[in-house]
Amino acid sequence: MKRPFWKITALAAVTALTLTACASGSGDDEDAAPSANPTDPVTINFTWWGNDDRAARYQQALDLFQEKYPYITVQTSFAAFPDYWTQRSTEAAGRKLPDVMQFDLSYLREFNQNGQLLDLAEYVDNGTIDLSGYDETLTEAGVLDDKTIGIPTSTNTFAMFQNPAVITATGAEFPDDADYTWEDYNEFIADASSSGTTTADGYQLFGAVDYTGTFWFFIQWLLQKGVTPFEDDGTFGFDEDDITEFLGLTADLRADKLVYPIDRGTSLLPKGGFTVNESATEMSWDNFLAAYTADSGTQDIQLAQIPSVEPGEKHLFFKPSMLLSAGANTEHPEAAATLINFLLTDPEVGTIFGTSKGVPADEEQRAAVATEEGSVDARVIAYEEEVAEQVTESTPIPVKGFGTIEAKWKTLGEELAYGTITEEDFASQWFAEAELATS
Amino acid sequence: MTLTAEVTTPPAAPAPAPGSARKRRKAAETRAGYAFLTPWLLGFFLLTAGPMLASLYLAFTNYNLFAPPEFTGLENFRLLFSDPSYLKAWQVTATYVLFGTPIKLIAALAVAMLLNTRRRGKGFYRSSFYMPSLVGASVSIAIVWKAMFIDDGIVDQIQQLFGAPAGGWVGDPNRTMPMLVLLTVWQFGAPMVIFLAGLKQIPNELYEAASVDGAGPVRKFRNITLPMLSPVIFFNLLLETIHAFQIFASAFIISNGTGGPARSTLFYTLYLYQRGFVDFRMGYASAMAWVLVVVVGVITVIFFRSSKFWVHYSGEGK
Repeated sequence: MKRPFWKITALAAVTALTLTACASGSGDDEDAAPSANPTDPVTINFTWWGNDDRAARYQQALDLFQEKYPYITVQTSFAAFPDYWTQRSTEAAGRKLPDVMQFDLSYLREFNQNGQLLDLAEYVDNGTIDLSGYDETLTEAGVLDDKTIGIPTSTNTFAMFQNPAVITATGAEFPDDADYTWEDYNEFIADASSSGTTTADGYQLFGAVDYTGTFWFFIQWLLQKGVTPFEDDGTFGFDEDDITEFLGLTADLRADKLVYPIDRGTSLLPKGGFTVNESATEMSWDNFLAAYTADSGTQDIQLAQIPSVEPGEKHLFFKPSMLLSAGANTEHPEAAATLINFLLTDPEVGTIFGTSKGVPADEEQRAAVATEEGSVDARVIAYEEEVAEQVTESTPIPVKGFGTIEAKWKTLGEELAYGTITEEDFASQWFAEAELATS
Repeated sequence: MTLTAEVTTPPAAPAPAPGSARKRRKAAETRAGYAFLTPWLLGFFLLTAGPMLASLYLAFTNYNLFAPPEFTGLENFRLLFSDPSYLKAWQVTATYVLFGTPIKLIAALAVAMLLNTRRRGKGFYRSSFYMPSLVGASVSIAIVWKAMFIDDGIVDQIQQLFGAPAGGWVGDPNRTMPMLVLLTVWQFGAPMVIFLAGLKQIPNELYEAASVDGAGPVRKFRNITLPMLSPVIFFNLLLETIHAFQIFASAFIISNGTGGPARSTLFYTLYLYQRGFVDFRMGYASAMAWVLVVVVGVITVIFFRSSKFWVHYSGEGK
């Protein structure tokens, strides 16, 4: 009696395994057949990077979407920015990108290789995506090789964030923000940091972090010097000397320990000196105001203009941000385009997000942002309006591998701050890496 | 059919019948064995052997996950050894292995010897010492560790009580390595349990005889415990060394995946991960993986060769 029992069990096990294998293999085919009727129920995936706050806002927006388009079910997921790209790249390798996803300029070129992203031009032409409320220069940012592979949700530009309470405590005086130069700013940092004032917990107050550690500020500085950072053919418009000159701006501050200490900053991550009210100023994209206000618990964080090389010549640019793209592998391009259009242009979505993703690119959405006097949203919009005439540059188009070279800049900046490398090492190591990444 | 045949066979069958039945049963058992092994075999070929071969191929290509891999021969290996971060990653990993592993094993052996004595509540002590290893590999412990050593964390506060300079260990490139070594040492439970089992195997008569001959505790330890335990020491040393080369999770958590501050926690596997999934250079990452396989392989061979001189198996008469 034993033999048949063994045989049956073994057979059952193998069959079960085979069946499981079949089942998992065909699972995706369920909703594969493209339907003739555009309102047949479909399910699409949508993914973005961000935090819980953004998740809540997206949920609100997607509930509205569900009401208007009951036949489209949207499944969502999100991750922090670095993990987000790890996930997308693995999906791209398997040609399983989500139907709709939030995208960043830095990664557009890589994903455009091998046709990973859907050309949305067709849906713009047939009216599924309505870009009538868009500034034309803005939509161009998502066009590569004559294909519209991403459309920006909003715009950002650089701003100088100030914490007035900390500035007052240090006794330093912030220079006139319309005309000040990088040297003036450095002087302010030195004054504020050397005041010796401490917080209630005994931590010393500083003027700012070492801003040279951020690649985008280098780009901004190059533009102010009249250098085009990236040529159309993907090569660089600057060399090692430009890098050492830029890093040299804060060399004295670093040497005299007058910038926010890197070890304390590392220890505070993901917060920073500015968000724990120990640093007086910080430069960043203007849509960070909401996050800074929330993280620091300081209501009156002010927006000022960034410094410049020549007084008053800011050469700002609008960075198209939070692009929306669709995977080329999507089986429901129509539904994907419908969702993209909804998120880009529906006025109520504008109300839900405010300026948390930047100032909305669509006219109607911008108008719909609740601009209560003195609110975070109102101040960001007011800032972008105020600096509008300083916005003289078009967005530098990031080269292939931008994400990598930007990250490398940050790592090297950290080492420079710790004093383990020199400005020259920085420049040569960064270029070695950049040549590999962009080739 | 076989069933009926068996049933109709008269009980007093000629001699060869039970033999062939046994043979058949054996064959059936073999088949059943393989059937039960199938899930594991499938897993091995599809999830281990397959990907390994694929990565061996990718090591000789330029592959960014988006476009098909492009054969470049030994280019990746040439790039590896001219990459300062790669050499730094080796330095960081080697430091960790050289310091972490011996200290961890010494701690494990010391505690195992303490727990080997007859005391009240030894079950409780054994479990509590083993506990960190059970949870230790997990992400949560790395987070707790980071919280302990951060600026104004508990370690920092204790240091301040003694007037030591404050600032936390997480942000200081000179202190992240000791911090991670402490983390691995603290997880000595697994080798400890193995040591404990080894200690139980040493016959008590040896110690008694040594006592009669007037040997003290140090002498007993050197001349009885260590040699008798040498197979277990060898096993633990090999396992922990290989394990140490593969450190990833704790370094990833403590540095937020960057290997910082200032590349001080840029462990080999962490850098490999960055190259593969952050910089989209899978070919390069695969080449890194294979260099690691070869290096760990060579170290294992060296260990085995050297074991002839210091590992004693009982009954070998050596």
